[in-house]
Amino acid sequence: MLLGAGGGAEEKNIYLKTSPALGLLRPFDDPVNISLLVTRADGRPVEQGRVAIVLDAPKSGAFLSTDFPVVEGSRLLELVLPLRQGRAGWRYLFPIRGDYRLSVSVVGADGEAMAKNFVIPVLENRTKWLWLGLFCAGLFLIGFIAGRIFTVIPATVTKSWLLLLLGAVSSVSGHDGPSSIDNGATPSTALEITAATVGKPTRLRWRGADGGTATALLSLSITHLEKHKTVFAIDNVPVDKDYQLDFHFPDGAEYRVNSIAQVPGQMPLRSEQLVAVTGVEPPMTAQVPALMFFVAMIALGLGVGRFSKTLAAR
Amino acid sequence: MERTLVVWLGLSLSERISFLIKSGIFLSLCGATLFVALASSYPVVHDTLHNVRHALAVVPCH
Repeated sequence: MLLGAGGGAEEKNIYLKTSPALGLLRPFDDPVNISLLVTRADGRPVEQGRVAIVLDAPKSGAFLSTDFPVVEGSRLLELVLPLRQGRAGWRYLFPIRGDYRLSVSVVGADGEAMAKNFVIPVLENRTKWLWLGLFCAGLFLIGFIAGRIFTVIPATVTKSWLLLLLGAVSSVSGHDGPSSIDNGATPSTALEITAATVGKPTRLRWRGADGGTATALLSLSITHLEKHKTVFAIDNVPVDKDYQLDFHFPDGAEYRVNSIAQVPGQMPLRSEQLVAVTGVEPPMTAQVPALMFFVAMIALGLGVGRFSKTLAAR
Repeated sequence: MERTLVVWLGLSLSERISFLIKSGIFLSLCGATLFVALASSYPVVHDTLHNVRHALAVVPCH
């Protein structure tokens, strides 16, 4: 999917391309290949320059939240990538549904700057809506049965014992994400990662060996260890002494940060660091609406159950 | 249940009031159960139902 934007004194155009296409993006599904193409007015790519990228999460919904409410409306990613033949790209795993705001600032080799904002819509997984529907149907059924039991028809007085049990919630394997505050990272000469906490971006810094005298091609990836998914990656980005970016870890789990720096004529410099992200409990303002919604489903079932029994008795 | 209340309060409850009382108690129990299952931070409960929370799309988790 290509989205284009033009403007600025130099009449540059910025195109955004995602793979999968924009309408097919789902949260925590697969990492999305995002690429930017910057061209001049005549269509030729801008050979040199850099793009500053800022990605902001969707804002909170009106009533029900997503499963990561702390992430909503926060800054997710902030980095600078060099343009190579007018292109810059990275991979990213969108954590929640909603409309993401991508701000792109292009600075060409001539110093001319141009900025443009893009909106990246991410729809919720249909499977989750299906599970939510089934869960609500189950709550409604519980309420329906209780409503029929609680409704006593005088001609046929029945014992109104509470027969329902609420132990039907099936348990599945829980996640093994640690909740420790410690940043359980192993010392590394190339990677510096500040303490990671959900709710705010974490600074990741890569430093070249011995001060980085030569330009290196840096590949950096962040992997969610529990889900075995790459949540962010850049490939072969030319960097000098060091490179840094701000990344917002969306949940309190363990991540692995890998970096490979290739310098011509030298062995690749590999670094790996484990990051135990400190989780943040979601606020009650995000939890209460969902609980109210579920209780309302049961109440609706109660009402319908009573109505059905009353109707049948007539 | 409502008979216990009737005896205790010395009142005569209509069927509608009885239904409302039973429904209120029932909804309270359901709400408390849902809170423990889907919103509490007890490690055992949270870890057991972590995937369920995320699977429901609208239940917040950390």
